Amino acid sequence: MKQNDSMTAPDSDLLSLYGETFSSRFLLGTALYHSPQIMCDSIKAASAEIITVGLRRQSPKNKSGEYFWQLIRDTGCRLLPNTAGCKSVKEAVTTAEMSRELFETDWLKLEVIGDDYNLQPDPFLLVEAAEQLIKKGFKVLPYCTDDLMFCQKLLDVGCEVLMPWGAPIGTGIGLMNPYNLKTLRERLPNTPLIIDAGIGAPSQACEAMELGLDAVLLNTAVAKSPQPEVMALAFAQAITAGRFAYRAGLIEKRQTALPSTPVVGQPFWHN
Amino acid sequence: MRYKALKPNSRVAIAGGGLLGRLLAWQLLEHGHQVSVYEAGSLVESPSAAKTAAGMISPISEAIDTELLMYDLGMVALQQWPKWLQQLLQAMPDQPVYYSHQGSVIVAHQRDQSLLHQYRQDIQRQLLECAQGHWLDGTTIAEMEPDLEAYFRQGLYFPDEAHIDNRHLLQVLLTRIQQLGGECIEHTPVDTDVFTIRERLSYTDQHFDSVIDCRGVGAKPQWRNIRGVRGEILRVKTDEVMLRRPVRLLHPRYQLYIVPKPNSEFVIGATQIESEDCSPMSVQSALELNSALYAINSAFAEARILEMDVNLRPALNHNRPNIQCQPGLLRINGLYRHGYLVAPVVVQHTLALLLDSITLKHDFSEILFDGGESGQLIEETQSAYAIDER
Repeated sequence: MKQNDSMTAPDSDLLSLYGETFSSRFLLGTALYHSPQIMCDSIKAASAEIITVGLRRQSPKNKSGEYFWQLIRDTGCRLLPNTAGCKSVKEAVTTAEMSRELFETDWLKLEVIGDDYNLQPDPFLLVEAAEQLIKKGFKVLPYCTDDLMFCQKLLDVGCEVLMPWGAPIGTGIGLMNPYNLKTLRERLPNTPLIIDAGIGAPSQACEAMELGLDAVLLNTAVAKSPQPEVMALAFAQAITAGRFAYRAGLIEKRQTALPSTPVVGQPFWHN
Repeated sequence: MRYKALKPNSRVAIAGGGLLGRLLAWQLLEHGHQVSVYEAGSLVESPSAAKTAAGMISPISEAIDTELLMYDLGMVALQQWPKWLQQLLQAMPDQPVYYSHQGSVIVAHQRDQSLLHQYRQDIQRQLLECAQGHWLDGTTIAEMEPDLEAYFRQGLYFPDEAHIDNRHLLQVLLTRIQQLGGECIEHTPVDTDVFTIRERLSYTDQHFDSVIDCRGVGAKPQWRNIRGVRGEILRVKTDEVMLRRPVRLLHPRYQLYIVPKPNSEFVIGATQIESEDCSPMSVQSALELNSALYAINSAFAEARILEMDVNLRPALNHNRPNIQCQPGLLRINGLYRHGYLVAPVVVQHTLALLLDSITLKHDFSEILFDGGESGQLIEETQSAYAIDER
C-alpha cells in the first residue's frame, strides 16, 4: 500500500468501530480516580474520545448516580457503558438494557466474569450474552481473552469489534501472550482489536500497538498513578508511537550486527 | 482572607447538626456568641455522615488512598483533637471521649502480599521519611495485635494515626452546646441565605448576624456541585476479639478497615459508590464487609451485627473541603470521607474568619477558599451577594 504521504496526517488513520470513526486510539475507563475532577482532567490529557462507564452498583433504576453520570456525559466523549461485575447472562443483559436507557447508546462493553479473583471472562457465557444482546440491537464490544477460537465464536454471533485482554484486569502485567495477540491480528485482519485490561506501562501499550492492535483501553494504570493526568499523556503518546511504528513497519530482528553506515572497501571480509 | 469578624455576643445560626455544625456551635458558644443549631433530622439520633463514619484520623492511609494534601490536613488534626477533647473534658469531667493515638496496622492476605509492597512503595515515593511507618512480621504483629497473629505474617504499621469514638463525641458536643445555652432546633429543614434561615416547613425567615451552612448533602439544592457518595458500614459486637488499633485489609478491589470502638464494638467500612442512593445495604456490600471481618479473625463469625448503616458523604468535584464566604453567610461543605481528619483545619479556618482571637498556625486558605467551585452556587445566592454588610 502506498500511504507514505499520508502517514503522519492525523485524519488519514482513523479508528473505525461500528461505522463510527475516531482519531484517538486510547480508550479510558472512569473508575478508581481520586476525584471526579482528576478523572475529567485525565480524560482531557489522554485526548480520549471513548470512555467506559459502569453502573452496576449505582442503583441505575432510581438514577441515584445521576450527578456523576452527568459529569461523564459532560466530557463530550462517546460513552461505552460496561457490564463490569456481571457473572451471568441474565445480569449482563439486564445491566446492558439499563445502560442503554440511561446513556442513550446501544454501544456496550460486554463483560461476563467467570472468576472472582482474576476477573477472567467466562467464554461460554460471554458468547451467549453477546448473541442475545446483538439480537436486541446492541453494538457489542466484548471483553475477551486472546484465544482465537473464542474470538471467532464472538465474531460468528455478530460482534464487529473484539477486546482481548493483555493480562487480567488491574494487574499491570502487560502482554502475557504476544504470540496469541499476533495470531489474532494475522487471522482476523479486518476486525478492530482493542487491547483491554492488564496494561500497566506506556511501553506495554506501545508494544500492543506495534503488534498491530487497533487501540488500547485501560483504567487502573492511569487512575492509580500518583499523577494520573501526566500518565494519561504518557499513554497517549506511547499509543501514537506504537501505531506509527506498526504502520511504518518494523525491521526483522537478526542475529548479527549490520552496520548502518556502509564500510567502503570491505565487501567480503569474512570467510 | 478579609472577612468581617463577629461583634461580641453576636447571634449566629448554624444549619446542619453534624460534626462541623456541632464543633462550630460549641466553639462559638465558648467565645460568647449566641448560637442556634438547625437540624433537619434528630440531633440525638443524628442522621449525619459523622454518625455513620468510623471516626479514623489516618493521615497516611488517606494520603495514599486519595491525595497527599490529606496528610498535611491530618497532621494538624492529630494536634487539634487532643486539645479539643481536653477542653471538653474540663467542662464535662464525667464524659471522657475515647480517643486513641496508637497508630494503625495494614495487612493483606498471603496471596495479596504484592499489594502491601505496592502500598509501601507508594508511601515511599510520596511521603516524607518520618511518615513511612515500618514493616511488621509475625512476632511484632503478635505483640501489637495478638488477635491478628494467626492470620497475618506481614504487615505495615503507621504510628501517627488515631481514632475517636465519634458517636460519643457527637453526644458530648450536643450536651455541651446545650449547657452553654445553645438553641437546638431539630426536625426543621431549612434553606440558608445571607443573614437568614428559611424554615422550609413553616415558610418563615429567621434573621441572624451570621449564618453558617454545614448541611453536607442537605445543602445540595443550594450548592449545585455537591454530590453524595454512598458509603456502607457494619457495626458488630463481640467479646471474642480484641483489637487496639484500626486494621486495614488490602484487597485488589476493596479497601476495607476495622475500627475498634468501646464496649467490644467494631465498625467495618466502608464501601464507596458514586451514587446518591441511601437505601439499605446491598447483599454484595454486606458480603464484602462481613468477609473482611471474617478474614481478619474467624472468631468474628459469632459477632452480632448491631447495624448495617448507609449514608452519603458530601463531596465536591475535587473531593476536597471548601468554604464559600460572603457577608452574613458562610457555606462549608465537601468533607467527603475525611470528616474527622479535615474538620479541625476547616473549623479553625472558619473560626479565624469569625473571631479576631483565632490565628492559624498552619494556613490552608488557598485550598479551602479556592474559588474553583464558587461559580457553582446557584444563582439565588449569587444575587444575594449584592447585599452589603450590616
